[in-house]
Amino acid sequence: MKINEVFVEKILTSFIREELYKFNYKKGILGLSGGLDSSVCAFLAAKALQPQNVICLILPYGEAFSQDVKDAQEIAKLLGVRSKKIDISPMVNAYFSRSPTKNRVAKGNKMARERMSILYDFSSREKALILGTSNKTELLLGYGTIHGDMACAINPLGDLYKTQVKQLARHLRVPEKIQSKPPSAGLWTGQTDEGELGLTYEEMDEILFQLVDKRMSRKEVIASGFKKAAVEKIIRLMKNSEFKRKLAPIPKISSRTVGHDFLYPYDWDR
Amino acid sequence: MRKRASVGRGKSVPPPSWLYLKWSMNYGNFSLVRIALAQISPHLGDLRRNLDLHFHYIEKAKKKRADLLVFPELSLTGYTLMDMVAEVALVPGKETIFRKFKAASQEISLVIGFVEELEKGLFYNSAAFLSGGKILHVHRKVFLPTFGMFDEARFFAQGKNFHAFPTPYGKAGMMICRDFLSYGASYLLFTGGAEIIIVLSAAPGRGMAQEEAYETSHMWELMGEAVSRFSTVFLIYCNRVGFEDGKHFAGGSFIFDPSGKMVARASYVDQDFLLQDINTDEIRQGRKKWPYKRDDKPEVILEALKRIVSKYED
Repeated sequence: MKINEVFVEKILTSFIREELYKFNYKKGILGLSGGLDSSVCAFLAAKALQPQNVICLILPYGEAFSQDVKDAQEIAKLLGVRSKKIDISPMVNAYFSRSPTKNRVAKGNKMARERMSILYDFSSREKALILGTSNKTELLLGYGTIHGDMACAINPLGDLYKTQVKQLARHLRVPEKIQSKPPSAGLWTGQTDEGELGLTYEEMDEILFQLVDKRMSRKEVIASGFKKAAVEKIIRLMKNSEFKRKLAPIPKISSRTVGHDFLYPYDWDR
Repeated sequence: MRKRASVGRGKSVPPPSWLYLKWSMNYGNFSLVRIALAQISPHLGDLRRNLDLHFHYIEKAKKKRADLLVFPELSLTGYTLMDMVAEVALVPGKETIFRKFKAASQEISLVIGFVEELEKGLFYNSAAFLSGGKILHVHRKVFLPTFGMFDEARFFAQGKNFHAFPTPYGKAGMMICRDFLSYGASYLLFTGGAEIIIVLSAAPGRGMAQEEAYETSHMWELMGEAVSRFSTVFLIYCNRVGFEDGKHFAGGSFIFDPSGKMVARASYVDQDFLLQDINTDEIRQGRKKWPYKRDDKPEVILEALKRIVSKYED
């Protein structure tokens, strides 16, 4: 589970640089929330592309998370990257005033997709490629909004569990207050990932590591000392979120079909 | 073969020149071959740009007076080709690209990786050894990894042989990437008389090692050490670097001498150009000391294999 931080930094900065250059992009853009994952991603992007080629969009909903906005601005200043703050509350409120809901997850998903929409707009305005900030824990558990925060062009942190991102953050010297902030999707005030999921990241990551990386069975993971309910919850979350990790299925009619047997790499002719 | 008094110039510390001098005085016949390894990152599916990349390194190796320049697996096309396989396939006897390589091989021997269309519609992951204006041998990858992140047997036809062939530097044998992880393949080249084994690779790194390298890099080095030592051959492994669809090719190309000692290693994960002189007389020296080759018993192994295979159930 432990990573070699120096090597991982090198892998991820080369990946960001090479992937952008292959597609003829010089600039990278990302949504900076003031949390750990997007801060680590900003640090890596600044190292990979030079700070002047990194754009961080800070996209708060009104004044709900003003401390996070300050932290994000501080990160951008520290790294010397370009940043821009856009309040998404007018757009989100405009929508919900017509289609009201009390469902806070639905509201949170709408906010995530509003941020995605702004990121893609700026990606095109600035000719900057979008760097995703989803980590392996989130991807495996489906703890993210499909076509929202999960949408991106490349996803540098996608093979690092949350605890590994933390390890990398220490190595990159991400400010202490960001490292020690309780992880939160920022869906509503006081929301924390661990509170919502009912497990600590250490527990979730260890269970996932055993199931996914070590290919242990459900029984073996429980025998290694985890509660049955916790292991089953993780398995259920993984199964129920496979749709977020795939292109939508296409019913096959012709002899060659997208998603079935029209097989080309992402880096086609690069 | 050119005889030269210069000594090893790879990244490792070369033996002191007086050692070579002493050697040559003691044994006379010492033969240095200057090996160059191009640890490149090919452009996926772009033959034209890759051809330029190859000739860039050919010029570079010629300037350094290298005798043999080795490129990685599928160096002309990139690795993750999928349905592009048919679009980038070459017929070595016909193509202009190969005429260029043949011409270049008048001055420097070349090992390149490419997609070969051997019969109409049959595509192989192949490696060609060119020297003196001719293709001396083409090896077609036998072990096509098809599991987990690999999908080669879906796109390539399977080669059927491991053959040692004469070159200006002694008998050589080639393997492509996963071939090398099957010790039977190395054994066939050893028994076939190979003195230099060349492995072309496009091996993605996986797993964390203690130091700044992928865990899998050690797997290749372990095999390199074992095969070079127990076959008393020079083992040349050329891997590629760069990313394709997030797969990170791990570099770390290397050369082992016939005593199982690593004499040169390229950078892990970065592009690199490795230059190393090898003394092919060390094969003879090694085999005097450790007569694995003399004591090899291919007849026993052949008969035992026949017995094992005949017991397979249908």
